[in-house]
Amino acid sequence: MDLSRRGFLQAAALTAAASGLTVACGNGSGSAGSKNGKNLTMWYWGGALSDKVVAEARTHFADQVKLTVASIGGDFKQKLTTTLAAGTSVPDITGIKGEDIASFLPNAGRFLDLNDLGFKQVSSQYLEWKTKLAQTEDGKQIGFPIDIGPTALFYRADLFDKAGLPTDPDKVAARTGTWDEYFDLGTELGKKLPGTYLVNNISAVFTIAVGQGTERFIDKNNRFIGDQDHIRAAWTTAIRPYTLGIDAKINDNTWNAAIGKSLTTELGAAWHALDIEQAAPKTKGKWRVCATPGGPANQGGSYLALPKQCRNPEEAFKIISWILSPANDARGFADAAIFPAAPAAYAMPAMTQPDPFFGGQKVIEVFGPAAKAIPVSYEAPADAAVMAPFFTELTSIEAKGKKPDDAWNDAVSQARQIARRQGVK
Amino acid sequence: MTAVVPRRSRRPKGLTAHIVLVLAVLISIFPFVWTIVMATNTTEDIYKSPPKLTFGSHLLENIRHVLDTIDFFGSMLNTVVVASVTTVLVLFVDSLAAFAFAKFDFPGRRVLFATLLGFMMLPLQLAVLPQFILMSDLGWVGTLKALIPPALANAFGIFWLRQYIENGVPDELLDAARIDGAGFFRQYWNIVLPMIRPALSFLAIYAFVGAWNDYIWPLVVLTDPSHLTLQVALAQLHVGHTTDYSMVMAGVLMASVPLVVVFTIFARGFIAGATEGAVQGS
Amino acid sequence: MSSPPVTGPAPVPRHRGGPGPARFRPRRTPPAGTVRPKPRRVLSYWRQYLAISPFFLIFIGFSFFPVFYSLYLAFQRWDGMGTMQFVGLDQFRFLWSDPVFWMSIRNTLVIWVLSTVPTLFGALVLATLLHSVRRFKGFYRIALYVPNVTSIVAVSIFFGAVFSNNFGLVNAILGMVGISPVPWLSNPWLIKLVIALLMTWMWTGYNMIIYLAGLQAIPTQIYEAAKLDGAGPIRTFFQITMPIMRPIILFTVVISTINGLQSFSEPQVLFGSNAANPNLGGPGQAGLTTLLYFYQSAFVNNDYGYGAAIVWAFFVLIMVMVVINWRVVQRGRKS
Repeated sequence: MDLSRRGFLQAAALTAAASGLTVACGNGSGSAGSKNGKNLTMWYWGGALSDKVVAEARTHFADQVKLTVASIGGDFKQKLTTTLAAGTSVPDITGIKGEDIASFLPNAGRFLDLNDLGFKQVSSQYLEWKTKLAQTEDGKQIGFPIDIGPTALFYRADLFDKAGLPTDPDKVAARTGTWDEYFDLGTELGKKLPGTYLVNNISAVFTIAVGQGTERFIDKNNRFIGDQDHIRAAWTTAIRPYTLGIDAKINDNTWNAAIGKSLTTELGAAWHALDIEQAAPKTKGKWRVCATPGGPANQGGSYLALPKQCRNPEEAFKIISWILSPANDARGFADAAIFPAAPAAYAMPAMTQPDPFFGGQKVIEVFGPAAKAIPVSYEAPADAAVMAPFFTELTSIEAKGKKPDDAWNDAVSQARQIARRQGVK
Repeated sequence: MTAVVPRRSRRPKGLTAHIVLVLAVLISIFPFVWTIVMATNTTEDIYKSPPKLTFGSHLLENIRHVLDTIDFFGSMLNTVVVASVTTVLVLFVDSLAAFAFAKFDFPGRRVLFATLLGFMMLPLQLAVLPQFILMSDLGWVGTLKALIPPALANAFGIFWLRQYIENGVPDELLDAARIDGAGFFRQYWNIVLPMIRPALSFLAIYAFVGAWNDYIWPLVVLTDPSHLTLQVALAQLHVGHTTDYSMVMAGVLMASVPLVVVFTIFARGFIAGATEGAVQGS
Repeated sequence: MSSPPVTGPAPVPRHRGGPGPARFRPRRTPPAGTVRPKPRRVLSYWRQYLAISPFFLIFIGFSFFPVFYSLYLAFQRWDGMGTMQFVGLDQFRFLWSDPVFWMSIRNTLVIWVLSTVPTLFGALVLATLLHSVRRFKGFYRIALYVPNVTSIVAVSIFFGAVFSNNFGLVNAILGMVGISPVPWLSNPWLIKLVIALLMTWMWTGYNMIIYLAGLQAIPTQIYEAAKLDGAGPIRTFFQITMPIMRPIILFTVVISTINGLQSFSEPQVLFGSNAANPNLGGPGQAGLTTLLYFYQSAFVNNDYGYGAAIVWAFFVLIMVMVVINWRVVQRGRKS
């Protein structure tokens, strides 16, 4: 099984190399020589890009191509996979979600190598770790980073004040430097403000704690490492708020109702700010942001890719690099809380403005440094699938009081099984 | 209508029956009322605890949001077209086959029918990927016609109509027609079709509602944003971590109302169809 | 109500001629000793074959072929895009020792029982009551059937809102009478209960209509005779109504089994995955039905081979259940 998987990877690599060769031997203008369609379609999902920027892109490139955009609802990945598998009606440009990108890498042959189209020249403008996650081992670039999700700690300054705690972001950050300190603070908060909770659910803690490390569930040699100390440590961290009684145990849509009321803090990525804002508009001005306990992690953040059926790769590449230029990226942040993958944008006025929802705090001062400090980790194609049982077991602890140790054992054995099924050693 | 209960049941018992029925009606109607409550309020009202229980004044605003977000009327038109075409074809194809299955003992009949029944138990999701590949070979991906064949391949209609024809269309009548010189297709057209009209109207509603509410397959196969059906368009309202519930509910309401209205109009014939029904024997 | 509630051999006014010579073959009496040779026999039925062919052509193309293709997939490892790799019975071996698969089957069965029993029982009660009343019959029938006309997506969104732990209407009402909030959407049993309630709500009216059909087909004379014998309503129900209704009940049991075991959209919409937790089926995956697990394996994890194996294993299970069902009902009939 392992052999054939490697064989498969080799085949993929060969295909990639072969296509690269074809490009190299082409007539100078790359693979676009014979492909210069005038109609391009682009798929993304609501909130993936700034609708304003996309609309401008359509007029900006109207002379060269007619760009049709489709905002796809429902399960985006299923739709994209099915279409790619069938090979027809494939969009010329497509979004790929950050959590899905790894699972598309084994099929990099389905996409154009953006390096051939000029990504190499601009890649230095984008965060290297984000770029790398959309790269095959042999350096083929299938995704152009749209955004990233640097995490932070969102907290209710008004409630902190009520509990007699500091409210200034720097001071709060100083008191929540590590997970332990953060949970201590939470216990204090819980005592002073009965009926409030520090964290929404322990899966959120687990996600971030795993993301703070440099290794995940499968290593580069395609070996399962989900039972090792780094995951166990993240697990132990996640369990603590539960045992301390500061976990709200929310695993359903009631988050919407709780966010403005019983939650004193919220862990999440930059884009999560918009969720909070939409769910609890009345708490405007009461929230602040500071660094994540234990250091930054990344959550989400998507890519644009060009399927190999793309009818006009050159123009398509021009369009995506225009949409994702640092200047337009900065606007995406202002429009839709899409946090740019291009650090140059962080200094632009669109991003450095004080945010009234956060009481006039300049949130970029928290997210900017976090974005640059995110640890680079290898994410295997099966990573998300292997991680799933851990979430199941964490919710089992919360929902029916399953013993954490039993939950850990079950999670590991299931994760190992899924890994084996997906061809991991 | 003939009442067939023992005569002893006078007032008191009739009253109990009505009370129970009214309670049941309340339960079955309540979600519609509550949907209207949610659709006429703001999302914040919904999240309030206790939630607001009365109708609000934000319906138009919510509807406007829905119309801004999705091409509601376009997708509704698409849905009507697909559901109508599907229904007509289902009625024709299924009744023809059901007649053959019900009244003729042709070789292979049992095996073929058992296969149909067996397939009723297989989930349609299983076929999504191969069907998609098939559709893309036909070049139908993204078009509305891709929605129709899978809906026709549903065996329930045949199962249902066969039961009905078997019991509801007397053999003597067919024999008589045959003596008069009517062949298979004339028997079908002149005798069977008129006689099974009630069953057909049940199947019609069943097929129409099914096509109207179909979700997974249209979601996958409709790649062109200008050719969406209502359910797929609705799903676009319900994305992301937070949901604008009042808007989604307004959308749900707008998508359900036409169906409920159409249903109520045709319900008489339809329910007669079901009630006269077919399902005896075996 | 405009048309007479008669089923079965109805008097047909338009056509003259009594029962002709029984050349016509009723279904249950196979031709005794076919004289004609087989080939001609097959050919002589060309019209019937023609009549079933439109359906079967579509069926083969869009149902038969795709389904068997998926059987082929169950023996492969395939991520939906790359090359397939034959793995023999590996997927089934995984399945056998996969606790999530067995849990999903348990969930499915529990939800099925929790929904089918009240649905069919409620439908029978309502149908009997409806059959007994004289006024508002039409109104009741329509009002009780209406839930079945709604889309599962819409209803699931609705139930999610009403049973929501924090802002749901149900908990708000319980709160008014002083009962503390019930974790409808996080307790493993309550999750199943909510899904079952949803299905019960949607399908009771549908089954009621079918039962009503059966009740109306029972000739009034039988009841009159029973009345003369001094049988009360309860005895009449169990000794006359039930035996006559048995085939109809069987029909609804089969249809409910098919529908109930294929529950999928309800938990999917009710517990849509979120960014923090990509799992389907809610907390602890207590609402993970087998089909939802298939969906997660195939479309979320890109493990199409495993997904196909799940469905096929499950299909075998359903078949076994249907056969058992059938047997039980048939035995009941004999006794």
